[in-house]
Amino acid sequence: MTPETQIELSGVNKHYGSFHALKNIDLTIEKGSFVALVGPSGCGKSTLLRSLAGLESISSGTLKIAGQVVNRVPPRKRDVAMVFQTYALYPHMNVEANLTYSLRLKGVKKDKVREAAREVAATTGLGALLTRFPRELSGGQRQRVAMGRAIIRNPKAFLFDEPLSNLDAALRVHMRKEIRALHDRLGATSVYVTHDQIEAMTMADFVVVLRDGVIEQQGKPLDLYDFPANRFVAGFIGSPAMNFVPATVGGDGRSLVVDIVGGQRIGLSRSLEPGRKVIAGLRPEHLALSASDAALRVPVGIVESTGFTTYISTATDPELTVVETGRSSVKARDVIGLSIDAGKVHVFDSLTDARL
Amino acid sequence: MSTTWGQRLLLVAALILAALYLFPLYWMYVTSLKAGSEMYATPPAFLPASPQWQNYIDAWNVRGMGGFMWNSVVIALGTMSLTAVLGTGCAYVLARYRNVWVDVGLFLILMLQVLPGSLMITPLFVGFSQFGLLSFPRFAVVLAVTAKAMPFYVVLVRATFMSVPSELEEAALVDGNSRVGAFLNIVLPLARNGILVSAILIFMQAFGEFVYAKSIITDKALQPATVGLNSFLGPNTNDWNKIMAYATIYVTPILAAFVLLQRRIVSGLTSGALK
Repeated sequence: MTPETQIELSGVNKHYGSFHALKNIDLTIEKGSFVALVGPSGCGKSTLLRSLAGLESISSGTLKIAGQVVNRVPPRKRDVAMVFQTYALYPHMNVEANLTYSLRLKGVKKDKVREAAREVAATTGLGALLTRFPRELSGGQRQRVAMGRAIIRNPKAFLFDEPLSNLDAALRVHMRKEIRALHDRLGATSVYVTHDQIEAMTMADFVVVLRDGVIEQQGKPLDLYDFPANRFVAGFIGSPAMNFVPATVGGDGRSLVVDIVGGQRIGLSRSLEPGRKVIAGLRPEHLALSASDAALRVPVGIVESTGFTTYISTATDPELTVVETGRSSVKARDVIGLSIDAGKVHVFDSLTDARL
Repeated sequence: MSTTWGQRLLLVAALILAALYLFPLYWMYVTSLKAGSEMYATPPAFLPASPQWQNYIDAWNVRGMGGFMWNSVVIALGTMSLTAVLGTGCAYVLARYRNVWVDVGLFLILMLQVLPGSLMITPLFVGFSQFGLLSFPRFAVVLAVTAKAMPFYVVLVRATFMSVPSELEEAALVDGNSRVGAFLNIVLPLARNGILVSAILIFMQAFGEFVYAKSIITDKALQPATVGLNSFLGPNTNDWNKIMAYATIYVTPILAAFVLLQRRIVSGLTSGALK
């Protein structure tokens, strides 16, 4: 069975005056999937989400929700629910009124509204708070009300606009799992905007990386991690970020001469045109300390330990970051050997930044 | 040490200024309770020997205050309602849309605020007479005062609207409301305080209006209390105690309202302005 398409964008553009916010966006979102839109601030991810909600009109292209073209359909007729970064709870209504606002607008009968409110309150753990006002709730509770307000409608799609960015770190990790669990339980279609690639990687089935209004890459989270389409995606996905080192393909075509501490060599698992200028991408977690002769010899700059992992920054230009699990005996100003599996070296064109 | 002395000095200066400013008010209340001869006594009595409450009854009956007060209330209520109905929508639009034309509009509105009423009255009078509005003089005054009060109201209420986050409106739109519905259901209730306070200020302003009413309303039966009060003053006026009683009846309700609502008015004026 081929999965059903819930949201479909083709050739979508958005202009604000002379500013081109979204450039030819083509995107298909399957029913029941959890899609993350991720990118640095100003990349157009929020604009894209607001266009889905109908809060922004698109300048050209087609936008379909559940097979219906909704380019000119106002938000209230799109049957999508949105969770805002600021939660946007109605301050003059109590929790129950906030939850049931959409149902009351639809003219649902009073006892049905009550029942729905109780049901949603139970799912979101708000049962005891129904008569409270938003100002009397903690950040996490407000977040739940915002979620509940979306859930109660049973919409065609849930749109999340950085819903966790106002929570503290511990609660954020917890709510991450909770939102994902809720998504699975409801079998809903979710579009989730975030600037935090870890949220995107951990929560989503499908990640869309945007930059300057362009989709740089879309795919499954681990595919993006393993096969980044270009240097931008490679640097954006993964934490700590990938190291980039200018390099030249060796005479044999199967090694790189990296431009670091006097041109040392690393192996490649495939062959490239000898002498070509490239950028080598080395993930911190793929660099291993090694005593072998083939290893890169580099001086150590700073060593930071979190107890479980140790981050080693080298005193080289460009600086390399290395992640070691466990404790490390490496100290600043030591010289260490680094090795990397030839199959884990990413190579990008030095001019176009595209993956080679 | 020096700061406390400096502060004390400033406090004393402030108290003196306040006393200077409030003395006429005090003198109005005292005089309104004095007997005819007591008014001219030297040295003046700072408290009336035997309060003449009869002055108030006389002022109300002899001067026909009922009619004047009613006209003041009609003009003030009319101005307040018209300003609130027209100005609220205007303020909302100016708060939500940001572009060059909005800035130009705001500038023009502030310009209107600068023009003094006594300057505007001649062209207004000519215009009203052309349109035959002088046959409805109280309505004409309401129109004129509304035009004058509008900028003040729009600027205040716009600040209130700007303090209501637009996400709330967007949430309401996504939740299934129309733009008008979101405005009435979400934005208006949240801006209620600011609107109320601004409307009350407009009421007070219109209640004390003099220049337009004096120029436009010639029929004594339609004149507000300010114009009435003015007409009692003349070279041969000697019943100052009655006039002061009249003034007391006129301003005390406004003063009382202001004192009662003072905290709300101040917070209403600054909310939104700070954000």
